[in-house]
Amino acid sequence: MSTNIHHKIESPKDRQNRHKAMEAIKLINTIKEDFKFPIKSMEYFYDLFERVYCKNEPLHGDKVKVGTMCIQIPSEIIYALDGVPIRLCNGFYTDDEIGSDLLPQKACPLVKATVGHFASGNFSDKPDIVFSPTTCDQKTKAGAIIEKFGHEVIDVDFPRTKESEASREFFRKSIREFTSKLSKFQGKKLSRKNLKDSISKIGYAQSLYHKLTTYRQSDIVPILGIDVFLITNAFFFDKIDNWIDAMEALLEELEVRSKEKIHVAGKISPRIVYTGSPPIFPNYKIPQIIEQSDAIIVADETCSSNRMFNDMVAVDEWLVNDMLDSISDKYLKACTCPIFTKNDDRIRRIIHLAKQYKADGVIYQAFAGCTVYEMEQRSVLEAMEKAGIPILYIESDYSPSQHGQLSTRVEAFIESLKTRRRNKK
Amino acid sequence: MIERLKRFINNGDLRKVRFYTQLITFLLFVYGGYFAISFGSSFPIFVCPFNSESAATCYLISLQHQLARPTEVIFSMASLGVLIGLVTFIAWFAVLNKAWCGYMCPFGTLQDWITALRKRMGIRFSTYTQNEFENLSKIKYIFLAIILLVPLFMGLGMLDREWFHAFCQMCPARIISPMFVGDFSQWMIDFSSVTIMILTSIGVAFAGLFFIGSFVKKRFFCFFCPMSALHYIFAKFSIIRFTKEGDKCTRCGDCYAVCDMQIKDIADDVISKDILRDDCILCLKCVAACPEDDALHFDIFNVKAFSSTKEGFAKRMGIEKPRDKK
Ligand code: SF4
Ligand code: SF4
Ligand code: SF4
Ligand code: SF4
Ligand code: SF4
Repeated sequence: MSTNIHHKIESPKDRQNRHKAMEAIKLINTIKEDFKFPIKSMEYFYDLFERVYCKNEPLHGDKVKVGTMCIQIPSEIIYALDGVPIRLCNGFYTDDEIGSDLLPQKACPLVKATVGHFASGNFSDKPDIVFSPTTCDQKTKAGAIIEKFGHEVIDVDFPRTKESEASREFFRKSIREFTSKLSKFQGKKLSRKNLKDSISKIGYAQSLYHKLTTYRQSDIVPILGIDVFLITNAFFFDKIDNWIDAMEALLEELEVRSKEKIHVAGKISPRIVYTGSPPIFPNYKIPQIIEQSDAIIVADETCSSNRMFNDMVAVDEWLVNDMLDSISDKYLKACTCPIFTKNDDRIRRIIHLAKQYKADGVIYQAFAGCTVYEMEQRSVLEAMEKAGIPILYIESDYSPSQHGQLSTRVEAFIESLKTRRRNKK
Repeated sequence: MIERLKRFINNGDLRKVRFYTQLITFLLFVYGGYFAISFGSSFPIFVCPFNSESAATCYLISLQHQLARPTEVIFSMASLGVLIGLVTFIAWFAVLNKAWCGYMCPFGTLQDWITALRKRMGIRFSTYTQNEFENLSKIKYIFLAIILLVPLFMGLGMLDREWFHAFCQMCPARIISPMFVGDFSQWMIDFSSVTIMILTSIGVAFAGLFFIGSFVKKRFFCFFCPMSALHYIFAKFSIIRFTKEGDKCTRCGDCYAVCDMQIKDIADDVISKDILRDDCILCLKCVAACPEDDALHFDIFNVKAFSSTKEGFAKRMGIEKPRDKK
């Protein structure tokens, strides 16, 4: 009877998906096309993001998806209990706008986007349960808001000092509680073998990341920083086995490229260490500006990339409780998240990265509204000055409008690094 | 070539190296007497002469004997012996530093074997709280004071002969070591005088506690060991250094998690270069468990002999490509 063959009314969900797909594809295409020397094995990652964010393809079928609000929820335990961890940190401007109606105007765009995403309930892989570590204020409160949308959200107590013995004990207990809750949810018990296997699996994935970083330490860098962000962000949601295979292929190609001396930047392109609020797909605004201004990101200190892979779990006796404690220590003690009272570890880390990767400067980005990163800015700047490492601090958000003003500042900084480099020679 | 050798060592399986070194040295020191092997009387570990077949003599007993001479003798030329004893001790010690404890001491090895037994049984170790740790860790200095002062007071005539090698009377190694050669005669309380009775009762109790303690707590006795305290005093004279490069450390705590001696500084201190602490047994488990390149290293004559590396870490923790089971 009806003849609406020609036009289908677009539902708000569809529109949101269309907008997100546009954001995603725009970035993917620029990454693919703008840079010289494309890497063949990066196709897997470009394709993955396209499948998930443009075509809304679910990856995990009927597996239980365990949403995590920050990196402090151990994937080792989730995998061991037969779940798939999905990191929910979000980088879409479309979602940020939806979230803006629900959160204060000045809130952090990452948190707004995450909440916006949940508000629309528009997931290709919808999390069955969400664990929210009590890290920064905004994330903590976001958990409670998301719960109101009808999701099962469980808080995981996370201490905000990490030096004291009490906080170690505290988080160890917290992780045990998390484990028993998830284990109940899954109707599955944690076994020694499962946990050991998943520690080894994640460890292997980490070791591949470490191999990747060795290429970035050399003078001839065969891969751009923005590609690395894509790779590490893929770990948020990809099937881990596929990710591992793709990484192995990539490393093989990089080996060839570095033998052929393919350098993806110019001869005097400054080498940058990136730190601050995490770049999350598709909000690669700042990394993109940096690399389009003839610099190259050789390392980063962010929780969406390096911090996710750097620190490994060491176990002495491989009994379940021993493993759990080691895991919890790793997630607490090595973490350089700015929500902790002191940030000495973060500063030491940045300086070490700058030395190890022979960086010319550091670019520190904070999302407008991400108070903790904004607050740490001064101390980091001071420390870098003391160490003689040039640093640029910039504030940004998810909106596509600021581009011009930001690139002027980044370009000026990069020019000054180039001059420094020339003068050194 | 040197690079390859370094890589080979840094990738090594420390567990195995330790296990075999400990096994061999245990046999050598505990049963060496049968083969007329002797390393003298100033040995820097608990190779206890109460075991008649020991291949050496623990320096603590020699030290107590030497100091117990009448005071006039100690401060005369005749005390050259004391000096020679000390110099020999330092010379032995200097070669390995505290690694004597982690690799050579039969009494330390025995504790590791008890630990291995517990592990087999799937029972988890226990730990001290930070507070307990700080208090217990002082006990070894009290024992060391007893070792040094009691003989001197004897020399001055202030204490009787019943205080003769007072520490040894309390030492669990006196009771346990002879058992290796089938001699159980030390398991008794000596009633010859009240002092001796008290001291030997402590010894028997301590020996019993040793087995229980070592079962629940890794290296239970080493926390209390006065030899370890004595080592620490001379650690600077060793050719061995235990170094930490703080700027490479992420404070991840992996090293602390595996440390039998619960040494917190190993992870948390990013300032000191010399990271050897008084409780350390230089077992190097921490170096093997550290995932950061060169954050921790064991140096001989200031040359890195064993360093933490990412690659070695992955090997030792059994990190490998997951076998397909999609
Ligand atoms: S910086 Fe810390 S609180 Fe913020 S997203 Fe990262 S891990 Fe979470
Ligand atoms: S501390 Fe332990 S290993 Fe070292 S001498 Fe004493 S008992 Fe032996
Ligand atoms: S009893 Fe103890 S202190 Fe005395 S010699 Fe034997 S091991 Fe050394
Ligand atoms: S394991 Fe290494 S990186 Fe981690 S705390 Fe210890 S020394 Fe530092
Ligand atoms: S600090 Fe390292 S070498 Fe020393 S006892 Fe602990 S694990 Fe062994």
